[in-house]
Amino acid sequence: MAIKAVKKILTWARIKSPWIIHFNTGACNACDIEIIAALTPRYDLERFGVLLKGTPRHADVLVCSGPVTKEVEPRLKRIYEQMVEPKFVIAVGTCACTGGVFSGCYNIKGGIDTVIPVSAYIPGCPVSPKAIIDGTVKLLVSLEEKK
Amino acid sequence: MISALFAILVFPGILFVSAFSLAAEFADRKIHARLQNRVGPPWFQPLADFIKLLGKAELIPTNARPLIFSITPVFALASAITAYLYVPLWTKDALFSFNGDVIVVLYLLTIPTMAFFIGGWYSTSLYAKIGSVRLMTQLFAYEVPLFIGILSGALLADTWSLYGIALFYHNNPMFRFFNIIGFAVSLIALMGKLEKVPFDIPEAETEIVAGVCTEYSGKFLALFRLALDVEMVVGASLLAAVYLPSGMSLGPIAGFAVYIVEIFFIVALISLLRTVFARLRIDQMVSFCWKYMAPLGIAQLLINLIVKAVLIK
Repeated sequence: MAIKAVKKILTWARIKSPWIIHFNTGACNACDIEIIAALTPRYDLERFGVLLKGTPRHADVLVCSGPVTKEVEPRLKRIYEQMVEPKFVIAVGTCACTGGVFSGCYNIKGGIDTVIPVSAYIPGCPVSPKAIIDGTVKLLVSLEEKK
Repeated sequence: MISALFAILVFPGILFVSAFSLAAEFADRKIHARLQNRVGPPWFQPLADFIKLLGKAELIPTNARPLIFSITPVFALASAITAYLYVPLWTKDALFSFNGDVIVVLYLLTIPTMAFFIGGWYSTSLYAKIGSVRLMTQLFAYEVPLFIGILSGALLADTWSLYGIALFYHNNPMFRFFNIIGFAVSLIALMGKLEKVPFDIPEAETEIVAGVCTEYSGKFLALFRLALDVEMVVGASLLAAVYLPSGMSLGPIAGFAVYIVEIFFIVALISLLRTVFARLRIDQMVSFCWKYMAPLGIAQLLINLIVKAVLIK
């Protein structure tokens, strides 16, 4: 009973305070600009508790943009390993979801999920900030359902 | 025995000061957001952050010393909370007081900074080391103006106990107007201690990731963040006790309300200043502190000496 209550409080806290770290895995920069736009005062993600953190140790959500190039693959893995459990990955943009127009290129590995597990896919080229917020909220709601 | 335990654990100890400092952090973030034309976080945001960090796993880097790495956050929080025991003043009888407690509080407030430094240094990350060195450099810059500012108020009151200082300014309310320079100097120096924006050089996100806290995660980070918040409340209470003691004769409840309002006033001043200014470079910060703040503090000291010689004798 007590454990259940503690788990409930923890889930609540996790949903209310997702700290993100943004990592460009080889995007053309359009999605990065949109991610930054989502963090500006106009959309104000801090009202959902979202803070942009500089170090993977502090972050809960890894926001990746762009297809995984062969150069960036080991680095992406290392950043993912540096994050502390529980951790989630969001793939932002069509390229991050599947590889997009770059899939099949000699230097491209594919989408983010070819390297690390992904929790939420947000397609779009580039993604609009509203879609990013919507995707993040859906990820957090799914946390609540999973318990 | 039970009353001592109550004082340590509940009021004005760990429980009260933690809740109060989380509220102060919320006020700081909300005012910051409103000044930037944003909505800002909901009221439970600092609490949710704290619980979430407590619930995360923690990672100790392979090269770090595990004992020092994990014990410094506890030290930081413990000394900040201990410092709080002496500063809250809202009635005519202080909770705890002895002659010289203003010095003890100032030194206890230095310990969290030392803990940040040691923790950052022993986490052996390059960013954390740069942050630690900047933290120490900054400490030598703001500490002197802060001490001069607070102690010149004590000089005029002719006592080394916070309770005595507050009582003096309460009985002679006009004397506090001589201390305006000292209040400004101490407030700015306090912002250096709290690593708020013009002086957030040790944790400059855009340059050195997260500075001292780069390698910290999970509950260690939660304790570090809470220690900073507690430091903010203690510093604000210290300024309130020395520069604007009021409501001491109103009785415990009204006095307590006045005290809370004072603390939030100082926190609002801090967040206003941190919204208005941008980050300085470390050399600019050091030269600003030594060129302008320390001489202003000494001017305050001279003013208080003259006032004491002319008016009080």
